[in-house]
Amino acid sequence: MRFQRLLQLPLFFLFLFLLWLAAYPLPAWFEVDLFLRLDPLISLGSMAVARDFIPKTAVAFVVLGLALFLGRFFCGYICPMGATIDFWDWAKGKRGKSKGENSFEGAGRYRSLKYLILIALAGSALVGISWIFLFSPLSLMTRFYSFVLYPMGLMIANLFLDLLRPVFSHVGLEGLSYVRYSVPLFNTNLFVAFLVLSILMLGMIRPRFWCRNLCPAGAIFALFSLRPLFRRKVSEKCTSCGRCVRICPMGAIAEDFVRTAHSECITCLKCEEVCPEKAISFKMGVKVPRLSPEVNLDRRKALGAGVTGLAAAALTMTNLHHLHGGETPRALRSAGLIRPPGALPETEFQARCVRCGECIKGCLTNTLQPVWFEAGLSGMWTPKISARLAGCEQGCNLCGQVCPTAAIRPLTLEEKSFAKVGTARIDKTRCIAWEQDKKCLICDEICPYNAIVSQFVTGHPITVPVIDEDKCNGCGYCECKCPVTGESAIIVEPLGELRLASGSYKEKARELGLVFHAKDKVEDHTILNRDQREGKELEEGPAVKDEKKLPAGFTTN
Amino acid sequence: MNRREFLKKSAQYAAIGAAGMSVPGMIERVYAADKEPQIVVANGGPGPATRAAVNAFGGMERFVKKGDKVVIKPNMSFPNPPDWGSTTHPDVVRELTTLCVEAGASSVLVLDNPLRSAELCLVRSGVRKACEDLPHTQVQGPTNKSFYEEVKIPEGKALTSTMIMKKVLEANVLIAAPVAKSHSATGVSMALKGMMGLIYDRKDFHLNLDIDVAVVDLCTVLKPKLTVIDASRILSEGGPSGPGKVIPMNKIIASRDIVAADSMAVELGTWYGRKFKSHQVKHIQIANQRGLGNMDISSQTVREVSA
Repeated sequence: MRFQRLLQLPLFFLFLFLLWLAAYPLPAWFEVDLFLRLDPLISLGSMAVARDFIPKTAVAFVVLGLALFLGRFFCGYICPMGATIDFWDWAKGKRGKSKGENSFEGAGRYRSLKYLILIALAGSALVGISWIFLFSPLSLMTRFYSFVLYPMGLMIANLFLDLLRPVFSHVGLEGLSYVRYSVPLFNTNLFVAFLVLSILMLGMIRPRFWCRNLCPAGAIFALFSLRPLFRRKVSEKCTSCGRCVRICPMGAIAEDFVRTAHSECITCLKCEEVCPEKAISFKMGVKVPRLSPEVNLDRRKALGAGVTGLAAAALTMTNLHHLHGGETPRALRSAGLIRPPGALPETEFQARCVRCGECIKGCLTNTLQPVWFEAGLSGMWTPKISARLAGCEQGCNLCGQVCPTAAIRPLTLEEKSFAKVGTARIDKTRCIAWEQDKKCLICDEICPYNAIVSQFVTGHPITVPVIDEDKCNGCGYCECKCPVTGESAIIVEPLGELRLASGSYKEKARELGLVFHAKDKVEDHTILNRDQREGKELEEGPAVKDEKKLPAGFTTN
Repeated sequence: MNRREFLKKSAQYAAIGAAGMSVPGMIERVYAADKEPQIVVANGGPGPATRAAVNAFGGMERFVKKGDKVVIKPNMSFPNPPDWGSTTHPDVVRELTTLCVEAGASSVLVLDNPLRSAELCLVRSGVRKACEDLPHTQVQGPTNKSFYEEVKIPEGKALTSTMIMKKVLEANVLIAAPVAKSHSATGVSMALKGMMGLIYDRKDFHLNLDIDVAVVDLCTVLKPKLTVIDASRILSEGGPSGPGKVIPMNKIIASRDIVAADSMAVELGTWYGRKFKSHQVKHIQIANQRGLGNMDISSQTVREVSA
């Protein structure tokens, strides 16, 4: 096997493995978001949009520095998009060969598009809007493998587990007979699949169409590898058979078979492999004839791209649901848009979030979901807590730990427990305890913060749930477990959410008088009733004269 | 009585007394050595007291035969540490499991269908770790429907059928090992209420059924051979999940009779700042009425032992 494949394949599997590991409990020995942080578009792009240095992503600088020596090695060896496209181009047959003219000059029609996209992204970044998520290969791939293939893979795994279950106990693998993966569900998965499929389908036109023509991360690498140290050299033995030009997945070889566009070469070494005369070699620091210009950018087009970027930013800023910047930062916020605990204030959050979906994939309870247009056009794929689906687990802080750009702050478990994401509200007209006198106290039972108490309230024969807003963390377990069919009778809303760009959540919560743990030796069941708090006697309910002073489940008889 | 007889008797009593003193853990409150106790209250640390309680019935061999498949049902429904009192103390589960293995059980399954994330519950409650090195033992929180099977409840007044864990239905012996705690809907949650942890869907209990009746219905089909209640500390209020007021009790309660065990735990503990009689807990009263067990403590032989 070619040297490039020997590295590309294991690195691709490492990418998948790290994505697999991005789950509770997070391994302590490795940072699972490493690949994302290697992408210079994620790194430079987020820093540009956020106007802030993001230390976590600085590792991309190393990759860029290496590009000065090794050219676009990232595209050929590390990028999972590259690996996926290579696989696709191979699987669709014809061994990934290009139809028709494939020389640098002949197949260069769309080549400058990637620079134009990069310029457009910069135009949007200028006014603080990020579209990185539509183009970053690492963001696209993480999202694709997380939302699309991961749940499918688990379903298939379950199929096999179900089939083999009777066998396990007989061969002493008792533990395996209990394994059944809970398959996570993801919003927008259809669109993610469609987007990536479209990118792959472009391979019908040319192999690695995306990498050659569209990828703005590839464009950054191209700009860094105009004069790499590691270069392709063709000796006099060349008979001009043209095999190298036809096989090159990037169309990086000139018509004369000798010169190379280094900004396009991903050093996959295919040309070296196919050359029947062994005339091609890759060496450090050899002298080779130059091909120029490699980057051919029309000034008019470049300007147009920048303006397009600005226009796209303006478009999202004037969308009704746009939540930050622009003319009216107070725009309509959906009542269901609950951000994960530790999410930065909305403007900074959307600036930094690259929509990779790592937090959503890793979420222990599957409550984190990518939104569609709920947070505006440029808020696509940002994570939100879907409390009706699941609650945010008290003992888990994974989302902040795996976020490559710290759009969700990496809080400690203790700090996270003070990062209030919203407040629950009871819809008394839907609640079966309030409305139908049913002894349902699931929300009280499940509330991890003891923010819901069941108490006797004037006019109700049984105890009804009441929320102590200062104790409610917004985790949403109540909304999730509410047995009312359809919309929950208890709903978490963003009211009271804490979003701190810096500083301690614990201190802020204390300042605000929020208590997320029960005080010792305080009888919760009486402190809340306002009538009692004010010293008034409770009026007797209609049906339970003698039971009303007893907690639910007890009787005097 | 002549002098000789007097001396003889005195010596006998002294011997009994000395024997009693020299074997701590065998001091009985209700003296009935010839009768098997109906309820045992063991004082001491959770692990040793569990062993002492079971031994007071003549050992686990009385309940578990060689080759039996045993299911132990602790409460591990919440990802809270043991000192919150919302889950069964891991030492209790470990000791019970060890006793079953010693008695020759072919497999011991520690099962619960947790309310919160199963994995997290098994880890945080400490139960999985406590049992990890025991042979033939599995600690699992199966939540997928495929692990459950529909079962009819012929004696059910409110609940007429429900899905129960297949492994429980296959087992020879079921042991209830709940923690004694308060519960916002049923007053207290112990062995009777704990059986709800072995079924798939509990929504109806709250939504359409009278939960106190439905719990008893369920217990007409799920009948533990032995009930061991962890009252090493009780979650006196704020249950079932906590956090709430925790009272250290240092006791383990055991009985063949699930209703008697629950009743004992109710009366020993303090709930929501007050004392209750067992009949004041609705679901215990109903269980008693329907003949599932005896809630009247005073009519039963209670043996108190120390570990």
